[in-house]
Amino acid sequence: MMTKRTILPGALGALASGLGLFFSAFSTHDYAQHLDRQLHATNCSFVPGLTDAKGGENACTTAMYSAYSALFRDAYWGGVPISLFALGAYAAFAGFAFYLLIGKSSASVRFFRGYGIATVFPLLASIVMGTISATELGGSFCKLCVGLYVASALLFVSGVLAFRQAGGVVGAAKGPHVAGGAKVDPDATVKDPVPWGAVAAGEAGHVDPMSVDLAPNALAWAPAGSRLVPLGVLVLLGAASAAPALVYVASLPKYDAYLSACGTLPVPTESTGALVKIATTGPVQPALAFEDPLCPTCRAFHQRLAAEGIMEQLDYQLALFPLDNECNWMLDRPLHPGACTLSKALLCADETGKGRLFLDWAYEEQEQLAAAGKAGKEPLLAKVRARFPGLDACVDDKKTKQRLDAHLRFAVANKIKVSTPQLFLGNQRVCDEDTDLGLRFAFAKLAPKVR
Amino acid sequence: MRLPILAASLAGAAVLVGTLAFVASDVKAAGHRLAHPEAAAAAKPAAAVADHAEAPYCTPQFKEVLKRVVDACGLVGEGDRRGCAPVDVNSFASISDDDFLALFTPLEKRGAIVMFDDASDTLDEGAKKIVSEKWEDRRGAQFFFVVARASKPGGKDFNKALSQKRANSVKFLLQEQSKDPDLEKKVGLLWLGSEYAQLPKDYCGTWDSSRKGKPCNADAINRSAFVSWVDCRL
Repeated sequence: MMTKRTILPGALGALASGLGLFFSAFSTHDYAQHLDRQLHATNCSFVPGLTDAKGGENACTTAMYSAYSALFRDAYWGGVPISLFALGAYAAFAGFAFYLLIGKSSASVRFFRGYGIATVFPLLASIVMGTISATELGGSFCKLCVGLYVASALLFVSGVLAFRQAGGVVGAAKGPHVAGGAKVDPDATVKDPVPWGAVAAGEAGHVDPMSVDLAPNALAWAPAGSRLVPLGVLVLLGAASAAPALVYVASLPKYDAYLSACGTLPVPTESTGALVKIATTGPVQPALAFEDPLCPTCRAFHQRLAAEGIMEQLDYQLALFPLDNECNWMLDRPLHPGACTLSKALLCADETGKGRLFLDWAYEEQEQLAAAGKAGKEPLLAKVRARFPGLDACVDDKKTKQRLDAHLRFAVANKIKVSTPQLFLGNQRVCDEDTDLGLRFAFAKLAPKVR
Repeated sequence: MRLPILAASLAGAAVLVGTLAFVASDVKAAGHRLAHPEAAAAAKPAAAVADHAEAPYCTPQFKEVLKRVVDACGLVGEGDRRGCAPVDVNSFASISDDDFLALFTPLEKRGAIVMFDDASDTLDEGAKKIVSEKWEDRRGAQFFFVVARASKPGGKDFNKALSQKRANSVKFLLQEQSKDPDLEKKVGLLWLGSEYAQLPKDYCGTWDSSRKGKPCNADAINRSAFVSWVDCRL
């Protein structure tokens, strides 16, 4: 079905492109800020720029630090953020939409249709990314991403309208505008009975050039356009989408030298065998991590390792470093109350071969466990008891305390920073700056066996 | 027909070039910050480094005593242990007996007094048990102190040698029990003989000892070795 051409597809396309450019530019900017390996606030608002960027954890940082925010992360530090492709694509759509607006009546049928087809791709990308957010990122939708989803939906609507308003009968030998079934050159324009600007048959008065009807009984010339036009639209879209990524890659600084600048373990082995061996399915790379089961950053790091498929490839040793002065003499107050008790419970679970199970559970239930830890030792132990019965006696055992002390002394022997998590691949410390955006790149360089 | 195409192409190209310039500028700015991290480093609080415990009793005077023992025993630094040389009691002469004892008073709950028979350096079962208990309760301490004494009877040289033997008895027990390959870097020995900083009789009742509840007097409490982890950094 064809309807008359209006400014709506072009106007809507321009609006959608503007929105897409706006949100993808902020998203790209936030990503690029982190290329200096420092922590930065991120914009996570429907009106970025009008509201302040925020530090700490939010849906946008979750999305940014996820495995899905960038491509080629093994090859480039931080990878190539997918927002760059959106940036280029919306720049192309801005040009296309502008053409729909200013060439409304003269633009070829095939351009309208090619535009319509092209708008499917951003929508598909949004559907994929939205699904990932819903299923893989705990249902947290970053507002910049939602802005891009809305832009792609509007763009698609403009594409549908453009397709419907394309007009003409492209490539058909017969059509309502073609007299007597004569053969038509598919690249030729389709001629309406009354040309552009003429007075409609049987009607008096002028024709509004902004509402020329190309449907049967329509008035204007509707150039069919070359068969290559839709392909050209897609090629232009592809080239424009890739261009920012190419410029980004070409502008990236060199990171290799920074990776190995964070020191090594002076005492790589804990002499009493106190550390916890975390069972994994395909260990190929020795790794040691200092973690606190109540530390949110440790949880996020652990989840990142799992999401990246790295965790199962590590021959993983866990050194507990609870940030709680009940057992950790390096602190004068508890940063994570209950972390000592929970660490001792983990050591007890390890005694029964359930160290990994306990650690995974502790991270999954971290918020509830942290709240219980603040309430006191007994509420926390009650939660432990409910999931892992029979650990109570072990938790209060002198030997468990001594084992935990050995973990802390191992940290002292290695002069690690009083901070968690800290990861060592072999003896090489992975810089804190490389544990989020640069994680894949760091592993590609420091642990090439990990795929 | 060509004019709109040209105009739209130019507009599209301008937007694209703008985005490329934006991307390049953002990435290069980050590269500059990466190469010149001074501002970021200055803004970042220095992270503490994991270290041994530091208890409130680690006063400068206490650390002075600790340092002399640590130096004499070669507990710090690289290389093999030199062996504990006797610390010259006179080197503590600037500290009175009472002040010296006061330095160790805060260790009342942390340490214990290992008691010996007269003129003996043999550890009985109670002594072995309490040494073992105290050794295992290390927490974040770096050094384990053994401060051995002798009671007045017996003469200066004899008592000095005896207190040294008592200190060594404790060390040998630790070597035997702990199998710790780094023990030599942890245990500091100090033998005071019978001349300096004798323990007053009231230590019999207040301090944890290997013969708690048994008869104790001023001589008995000094036929001893005080053992404790010391929660001080040097």
